[in-house]
Amino acid sequence: MLVRLNSRRIMTLLMVLLTTMALSLTAAHAQDEKVLVVGSAEFVDSFDPARSYSPTPMMSLQVTYDTLVTFPADSADKFEPRIAKSWDVSEDTLTYTFHLRDDVKFSDGTPLTADDVVFSINRFKNIKGNPSFLTTTIDSVTATDPTTVVLKLNVTDPAILAKLVAWPFSILNSKVVKEQGGTDAADADKTDKAEGFFSTGSAGSGPYILESYEKESQLVLVRNPNYWGTAPYFDRVIFQNIPEAAAQKVALEAGDIDVALGVTPDQVDAINKTDGLSVYTTGAFTLYYLTMNRQKEFGGPLSDPKVELAVRYALDYDGFRKIAGPGAVTPAAMLPVGMFGAYGTDKAPKRDVEKAKALLAEAGYPDGFETTLDYPTYTQEGLNIETLAQKVVSDLAEVGITIKLVPGDIGTFIEKVRAGTVGFSVLWWQPDYIDPDNYLYFLPGRNGGTRAGWLEADAEPSLLELRDKALAEVNPDERLKLFAQVQDYWQANGPYAPYLQGSIQVGHNNNIQGVFRHPQWLLDVATLSRVE
Amino acid sequence: MPLHLYIVRRFLFAIPLVIGITLVAFIIANAVPSDPVSANLPEKSQNDPEIVAAFRREWGLDKSLPEQYFTYLGNMLQGNLGRSIKTKRPVIQDIQQFLPATIELATASIITGLILGVGMGIVSAVWRGKLVDYVTRTIALIGVSFPVFVLALLALSIFHAQLGLAAGPGRLDVRITKPAVVTGLLLVDSILAGRADILGNAIAHLVLPSLVLGVYTSGLISRITRSSMLEVLGAEYVRTARSKGLSERVVVMRHAFSNALIPVVTVIGLSFGNLLSGAVLTETIFSWPGIGRYAFQASTSQDFPAIMGISMLIAFIYVGVNFIVDILYFFLDPRIRLA
Repeated sequence: MLVRLNSRRIMTLLMVLLTTMALSLTAAHAQDEKVLVVGSAEFVDSFDPARSYSPTPMMSLQVTYDTLVTFPADSADKFEPRIAKSWDVSEDTLTYTFHLRDDVKFSDGTPLTADDVVFSINRFKNIKGNPSFLTTTIDSVTATDPTTVVLKLNVTDPAILAKLVAWPFSILNSKVVKEQGGTDAADADKTDKAEGFFSTGSAGSGPYILESYEKESQLVLVRNPNYWGTAPYFDRVIFQNIPEAAAQKVALEAGDIDVALGVTPDQVDAINKTDGLSVYTTGAFTLYYLTMNRQKEFGGPLSDPKVELAVRYALDYDGFRKIAGPGAVTPAAMLPVGMFGAYGTDKAPKRDVEKAKALLAEAGYPDGFETTLDYPTYTQEGLNIETLAQKVVSDLAEVGITIKLVPGDIGTFIEKVRAGTVGFSVLWWQPDYIDPDNYLYFLPGRNGGTRAGWLEADAEPSLLELRDKALAEVNPDERLKLFAQVQDYWQANGPYAPYLQGSIQVGHNNNIQGVFRHPQWLLDVATLSRVE
Repeated sequence: MPLHLYIVRRFLFAIPLVIGITLVAFIIANAVPSDPVSANLPEKSQNDPEIVAAFRREWGLDKSLPEQYFTYLGNMLQGNLGRSIKTKRPVIQDIQQFLPATIELATASIITGLILGVGMGIVSAVWRGKLVDYVTRTIALIGVSFPVFVLALLALSIFHAQLGLAAGPGRLDVRITKPAVVTGLLLVDSILAGRADILGNAIAHLVLPSLVLGVYTSGLISRITRSSMLEVLGAEYVRTARSKGLSERVVVMRHAFSNALIPVVTVIGLSFGNLLSGAVLTETIFSWPGIGRYAFQASTSQDFPAIMGISMLIAFIYVGVNFIVDILYFFLDPRIRLA
């Protein structure tokens, strides 16, 4: 038997192809409903609020569920009521009593009660999922009547309200979740079977309902007809997965998507020049810093506090901001600009090469020294970490420090960092919840400090005292003072050189109103609308 | 040798191959100096020994490596590839979801590659040394050497965004709701649902990615076709055919081409296997939810069950494609039948 390529057959095939293509052009898309399409690189670990710790679910959970309290739509500096219309704090700051609204209904019409709140928080705590470190200060949660929830803490936690804003504290319709195999029992980590349900639907009281989710393809939200608050503008919101930034730009230009979340700094100009499109730019809380190990064994010359200070003087902060593009700023210390209590850019460090050289000479290195710098091959929010590492090399070369770069896979790199054996490294930090408390991590005796070889045993008692006060103080005015002291200390001391706070670019069609990138929930699609 | 014996022999050869692949894939996946804990748990949770222990227990990472391997083999024989750490679903189910998209794209690409490649190869061999030969060879060279992601981006940017001639990323327009999943193959499912509009849209979305991949594949195919054709065109039986006064078309297509097919079928088989195992870059740029994207996600999150599952799948695809190619040889070359 012989295989024959028949040209007539090929022609027929081609004709069929062309006809079907022509058909597609005439296909009707008539749809009256208002649809928003958001293009982003999908990143999903789970849609279960108790288990999720990734950006796509964050945006979806923000509009499909409610939390007890929230931040204003355009800032994270005060707390606003959401399901709780008010709350009281006991004298000893260990008991929070939340008074709930009585008009909130879930998307299936069931009224939301204090029992749902208790179920949701207990389930979250007992599942021991990815974000469950947020519950470590919670002792118990109880309902005293259908609209009152009492939350007891085991230790003073100034950040508890900030934590309650976060998606894992979403209030679930306990009836639905139990029907789906969910439980809030103490052994929920083994017995809860509801996780799969959360990617097929939602059981919340937010303005939208999760209609469908197809992995690596799209997530579709539709309007919740029973929503208790102001109805959102769009009937349907589609999160379309477009993994590649360049392809997102193409899709935005072609009008396939209304908003592109993955725009990189180098695309900003081109998009702004395109008719009908623009880029919204804002500072992110992502803090980029160098760690210099305090243990001589790992840090070598960098373990000397004078050398640490010299490195802080040697960095070209203006140059780093140029790399990161519009919206990037220089932080004053290990607390990002815009966070409660953080210094502004007016207190940011400035480059002083002469001072750096003098400090090096004082430390016994008049001719500089050689060292290595570890960094992961990774791109964070459009910033290539390698570019940052190379900039560090050229900046420090000017004061006589010669650096050999050591690239590594992100997973391996993080393990080395965690073990505390890296001498000099490029790192970044995103807050787990929007409170400065999260940054006290970078003090002796806390994990960040330990990883930099900055041990409690070697630290001055006054610093440890300051640390403990800052961790426990709940009065905002007192907190401001304490965090100012911590930042002053970091500017003069400590094994870190924070040099950049990144920016975020969101490309969008000019007819989309209300684009804002929130540090907690990224994009709130319920606040967007379209100018017709 | 009769066909059925030939098939049985080929099939038996495949068994030790597949077992060897499981072992190699398992060793490589575990030799990576990175811990799934750090790839899958957030910073704060990794400091909590209780959360880390729960994670290790859940995914069987607390057992010894040989124990993990034999458990895996045992489960695999029962058709169970384990559960993905990343998607938390059975790997089989994930593959069922992602493979059809890749099958559609690979098939469309191999057809494009075949038409372009075989055509260019024949033309360039018949008119060897002429202008048309140089032109087709240059195109073939560009096809093989031009980075596929650059080609993909250029194609999207020009034909979709600028000219609006071709459909954009994804398998369907964003606003179109997919038909009910029966086979997972959109073309088939839309026909089953009786939706000509969805069928047309799905085909329109296939055009650009399959052209991009097809151009790449055609580069390989045309080069092999050309050299194989040249060899055959110089053979004595071709000269005999010409001297008999047969038309050039009959000489080239029937006498020369059908005898030049063996190496061409080999390279087509390999290319198809390659396309079926997922073109990661093309799938990424065209937002094509196929097996290549799944493999990429699995490897970046140290998702062992998924990595193993995909390795198995790819192994089976290659073994299967080779099997089919071997059987084609049987028909194409009478000498194999006699061996």
